[in-house]
Amino acid sequence: MIGEFEYLLISAAARLGEGAYGAAIREEIATTTGRKCSLGALYTTVDRLETKGFFKTWMGDATPQRGGRAKRMIRVTPKGVAAAKNFYDAVTRVSRGVSWA
Amino acid sequence: MGVTGVVWSLVDVFSQLLERDEREAVRGDLAEAGESAWQGLWEVFGLVARRQTLLWKNWRPWLAAFGLALPGSFLLMGFSLSVSSAYQQIFDPKITVGPGFWLLACNVLLLIGWAWTGGFVVGSVSRRTVWVSAALSFAPCLFCFTRFRVESLSRFCLLLFLLPAIWGVHRGLRIAQIRLSAAMVLAVAVTVLTIPTWSSKGPWIPNWALSWPAWYLVTTARRPKWRMN
Repeated sequence: MIGEFEYLLISAAARLGEGAYGAAIREEIATTTGRKCSLGALYTTVDRLETKGFFKTWMGDATPQRGGRAKRMIRVTPKGVAAAKNFYDAVTRVSRGVSWA
Repeated sequence: MGVTGVVWSLVDVFSQLLERDEREAVRGDLAEAGESAWQGLWEVFGLVARRQTLLWKNWRPWLAAFGLALPGSFLLMGFSLSVSSAYQQIFDPKITVGPGFWLLACNVLLLIGWAWTGGFVVGSVSRRTVWVSAALSFAPCLFCFTRFRVESLSRFCLLLFLLPAIWGVHRGLRIAQIRLSAAMVLAVAVTVLTIPTWSSKGPWIPNWALSWPAWYLVTTARRPKWRMN
């Protein structure tokens, strides 16, 4: 089963869809969780998820906003979707009947 | 250039330790997020540290750095001195008895062969950790260079092996493998060139410690594709 941070990355990439790349995923995680994610954690985890077949990455276009540098685009594969669903189901099951209020 | 410019230059230097595409993506992400220079340096340093840690989980960087670069530089410095001393004995008119010219020629070729093959293996095996191997090789050189005290020989004699070794590292980084035929010729030549040293009373283990990279190149060489007719 995937880990918590891996789940966060897959979910953020899935939410962003076609616009998923490093900086956008960092921003998404910071906005939704309030946690800042380092580039080191981000890119090493992206590599791990790609090795496991959960992500597919490729170099996208360069934009002036990025100083003319290219983006590393990310897409969640069907295998990645299944892994995230497994994690979500497990968290939902284990949380059943538990009140955190 | 202000402090910010210097820090961004450091970011550029550290970024060189990342692969090209990753460097491009990371520098772009930093620009897009509008990170400060110090934050950018911290982020890149963190990524480089994680990448390097992952690389050192493999046996290859350890072999290149501690099995070859460090001991090899000591042995090759010793051999460089031996070759320089033999050269001096042959061409100094005051000294009439010395090793033959052909032995010197063999030893010069052997020095080049050992240094090139060792450098090639370090380059091809360590690749992204080659800077550690280089540092482990240069540190003993610097140490011996600053403490060398022999009247008749220049201290630069210690470093005769450096040029072919650097050439070998450069080739190893670029092509990683050589053709099987070339590797065989190189390994046999290096081994044959060590034959004159077999009869000497000196230690023989250093010969093999410096010769194994040539045979390693044979085992990892590009095999020809045989065609079945």
